[in-house]
Amino acid sequence: MNHLPQAWGRPRDDYYGAYDASYFQSNGPNQHTQQPIVTGTSVVALKFKDGVVIAADNLASYGSLARFTDVKRLRTFADTSVVGFGGDVSDMQYLDRLLNSLDTEEAYTSSGHTLNARNLHIYLSKVLYKRRSDFNPLWNQVLVAGLDEEKKPFLASADLLGTTFSAPSLATGFGAHLAQPLLRKVAPDEEAAATLSKEQALEAVKESMKVLFYRDARSMDKYSIAVVTKEGIDLKENEKLENQSWAFADQIRGYGTQVN
Amino acid sequence: MFRNNYDNDSVTFSPQGRIFQVEYASEAVKQGSVVVGIVSKTHAVLVALKRNAEELSSYQKKIIAIDEHLGLSLAGLASDARVLSNFMKQQSLSSRLTYGRAIPLERLVSAIGDRAQTNTQHYGKRPYGVGLLVAGVDETGPHLFEFQPSGMTQEMIACAIGARSQMARTYLERNLEKFADSSKEELVIHGLRALKESLAQDKELTVENCSVGVVGVRAEGMKTIEGFRLYDGQDVKQWVDLVADGTEEGGAGETMEVDT
Amino acid sequence: MTSIGTGYDLTNSVFSPDGRNFQVEYAVKAVENGGTSIGIRCKDGVVLAVEKVITSKLLKPGANKRIATIDRHMGVVSSGLVPDGRHFVSRARDEAASWRQVYKTPITTKDLASRMGGYLQAYTLYSSVRPFGITAIVAGWDSEVELPVDGEVGSGPSIGSGGKVEGKKFGGPALYMIEPSGLYWGYYGAATGKGRQSAKAELEKLDLASGNLSLQDGVKEAAKIIYIAHADNKDKEFELEMTWISNLDGPTKGRHEEVPKDILEEAERLAKKELEGDEDEEETKEEDKPADGDKMEE
Repeated sequence: MNHLPQAWGRPRDDYYGAYDASYFQSNGPNQHTQQPIVTGTSVVALKFKDGVVIAADNLASYGSLARFTDVKRLRTFADTSVVGFGGDVSDMQYLDRLLNSLDTEEAYTSSGHTLNARNLHIYLSKVLYKRRSDFNPLWNQVLVAGLDEEKKPFLASADLLGTTFSAPSLATGFGAHLAQPLLRKVAPDEEAAATLSKEQALEAVKESMKVLFYRDARSMDKYSIAVVTKEGIDLKENEKLENQSWAFADQIRGYGTQVN
Repeated sequence: MFRNNYDNDSVTFSPQGRIFQVEYASEAVKQGSVVVGIVSKTHAVLVALKRNAEELSSYQKKIIAIDEHLGLSLAGLASDARVLSNFMKQQSLSSRLTYGRAIPLERLVSAIGDRAQTNTQHYGKRPYGVGLLVAGVDETGPHLFEFQPSGMTQEMIACAIGARSQMARTYLERNLEKFADSSKEELVIHGLRALKESLAQDKELTVENCSVGVVGVRAEGMKTIEGFRLYDGQDVKQWVDLVADGTEEGGAGETMEVDT
Repeated sequence: MTSIGTGYDLTNSVFSPDGRNFQVEYAVKAVENGGTSIGIRCKDGVVLAVEKVITSKLLKPGANKRIATIDRHMGVVSSGLVPDGRHFVSRARDEAASWRQVYKTPITTKDLASRMGGYLQAYTLYSSVRPFGITAIVAGWDSEVELPVDGEVGSGPSIGSGGKVEGKKFGGPALYMIEPSGLYWGYYGAATGKGRQSAKAELEKLDLASGNLSLQDGVKEAAKIIYIAHADNKDKEFELEMTWISNLDGPTKGRHEEVPKDILEEAERLAKKELEGDEDEEETKEEDKPADGDKMEE
């Protein structure tokens, strides 16, 4: 028996071989997140004359598994802005808590100071950029919908690299490919968006959500949709896609039993 | 050497609950030359009396621009003011960088107040020996704040600190009702008159010894601002001439017209 | 005063031979010179009020708030050295924020009072610091429903209890007062500052322990008490500042907010009226006085 105290409770060298101390090494390359784990898919948003419509479905996928079906990916800020999250859900929760504490700090003084959607977007983009510069990105793409300092509709995106972008219509993930063309047809530029009514914008966004459900395998038919205007936020978190038509489905190669 | 046993440091309360070191620090403010601040519905102005060490030397800087939307004037230890103003510049820039927003004045002033308070509660530190008047505009309009070595910060309509400032305060109190609706020029004139009240007998206001700082919004309730601007030398002649002896009270048509 | 000249009162953290820390007692003196602060714990909310003595005509009316929000459901008011009060507030906000970071849920008023009590006590332990020259009143409404975890995105499984306990009681109104020594108690009605004696006397008349006073009435009582407490300090003008926190069904929905202007003004009007009424009574009493006086002399 080895009577040396430092050997007590350790695997015996004579039996297991000497312990490989390289496992203890704490210096050397450090690896952060390489991929998102539980993910939300597209967020779509469109400006109209009085505000912004934004929508995202309620699904959180674990790879190809539809893991959580009641995940609310539109988060409100100070009853004036909505942030829509695509990408990693736990990183979304982290950002949500960050925004929550920011909102609390803003409410310390009641004297009319608020962060508008533009301020919020700048803040989020700085957080995301800081994290990517640490090689430890928050694996999200977010859309910020609200009003700017002149009470005009504001819509912008920021992603895990800290890249920012602004347009009359925006979509993340699959939506960028499938929904964005449809939305651009409705609002090709800022002028066109400024003439849209709320109803038109709602219809265009709902139609986009439907197309996304048809073609995006990581989507579902339950979704959240919010309208942000001067009057505040009208957020519905348990909407269901209406008037689905799957007649086209049997035309698709690979769908159902038809394999080629 | 000491006046009593309780005034050696800022961590000792006197039996009456006073902290003498802090009270002495506010005496240092009274050693500085007088500065005046006034606020209206649209503008905030700072007016300061500069001192020179000797006939041929330059005049002491009394007004410091902090950011596009605010500046301050100081009375007391100028080097303490520089520490505080550098901190304020950092805070202002940081707000613009992280949120794209001009920092709310109250928050900035509270931040230096909190710093000053720490110096009154820990051994080995000393209270700041400077008083500040901070003037600026933010989302909620123009503001004027007073900062004291104790860490006390208060929002004022008008204020004067520094040597013989009681006379200036008396002038301000007498004219308090006029300030709200005053124009930028009228505010400066009132400021200079208040300054003049505090002047030593053999002194008068000249373009050399006056500094003026002005900041405001273009119109009441408007967001576009007239950035903080510092006037020195020949630039203050326009106003100094108006309050020179002989033209006294002429412009505003006040009390002195008894003989006519 | 036995303290002066002994040398035991010159340094914080030093006991005198009879076991006192004079520096803490002197800090209390600073509190006793400050404007009166009160808090009332009502059945459906909590109200805070403070007498802001106007030290200069040049101060901007209605600005310079003295009651601060700590977390959304909690407020603090203090009497004594105002900058010390701001230090307290900033520390309390940090405590509330760090609690949220650890537990993902708002701090309860009780826990905040405990944390801040500990913090103030630490400032009595070392000769390198001085105690806080304030007494703070902390008011909170701890949510009466089970709150979602901060950052929660779903509602959990649709079958089974999901860890939820049927009929469990949560939250309610809370009021604590913390002294420079770090000592704190829970209160039905708390008062500190210059006019605390008369304020306490008024609070005791309200029978707060029975839990019948409504928040709306509490606001009126609070205004009245501040006006009464100010009566001893009449030569100076003052401003009344009030905030409240109601339950989720009430006017503030569990948040700490300023009492709206119209309600505040109404409460002030009633307070003034009542005070004038009292003075009238006193005058009539004075008329009766000779007779009373005669009796007294017997």
